[in-house]
Amino acid sequence: MQEATFMILTALANGAQHGYGIITDVEEISNGRVRLRPGTLYTALDRLREDHLIEPDREEIVDGRLRRYYRLTRAGTSRLGAEAARLQAHATVAQTRLKLIGGTSA
Amino acid sequence: MTDRERLERRYRRLLAWYPSSFRRESADELLAILMARARDGQRRPGLKGSLDLVGGGLWMRLRLRIPEGTRTVRVAVQFMYAGALLTALSLAASVAALGEGRGSARLRLFGHLQSLSVDIVVGVFIGGALIALWLWMARAIAQGKQRARVTATVLFVIATVHLFGNRGVASMVVSALLWSVGLVVVWLLWRPSSREYFRPSGVLEVH
Repeated sequence: MQEATFMILTALANGAQHGYGIITDVEEISNGRVRLRPGTLYTALDRLREDHLIEPDREEIVDGRLRRYYRLTRAGTSRLGAEAARLQAHATVAQTRLKLIGGTSA
Repeated sequence: MTDRERLERRYRRLLAWYPSSFRRESADELLAILMARARDGQRRPGLKGSLDLVGGGLWMRLRLRIPEGTRTVRVAVQFMYAGALLTALSLAASVAALGEGRGSARLRLFGHLQSLSVDIVVGVFIGGALIALWLWMARAIAQGKQRARVTATVLFVIATVHLFGNRGVASMVVSALLWSVGLVVVWLLWRPSSREYFRPSGVLEVH
């Protein structure tokens, strides 16, 4: 899973969000490292909807403009959980090995 | 007309790169975000922002919609695009070499040397046709057409027979690369995991 996709799904794990909300949330949870551009975001949202990982939640009109909220589907939740577990397992292995190196050199 | 109206009009022009189905459903939503992120007094979309929209629009128009579960078919289609790209590069390299006066007035095309004076037009035409064939097969495969899978396999067999007719190192390398791409494609298309994707009627059932 691409990092941008992972971050979008992570943003939606906290509840339904609209496009602009996803962009700001992804920037926040990545400490400003991942900055999604609108075109990139909507390409990803289109693909995620097609894969049934997200779905529209509701629509609002704000200042005369449409605002559509998206939420994770059950498949999306499951997929994000699996990906998070995979990344966590890798991180754990890396940290364990780094500690071993630290222990050896100390 | 205000600066914001000018900016919005220019963004709308850029959104024309997206497919009409996307524009109907999401253009207003995307436009709202673009305008919300605009700086005070901004009259034109930035270069990076414009490229992002053009790229996104093109990607949506060109990408093939294959369900995520069918990984082998997805990868096969990607390899077919790679085959088209390799063919195009081969053609471009040959033309470039001719432009620099090299190649002894002969066009190297898909592993075959063509006489420039006689065959260049035919060679470029065949090259274009081969690129179109790769792209057509990729699209037909993505649509789950069984006959495209069979056609791809038959063409691979023909290419295999043809492989031994090459002369010259460059010709062999290009042909071997294209043959390898074809081999991977055929192998992926006939994997058990790909079987469910194809229907004899050519009708794709997506669940």
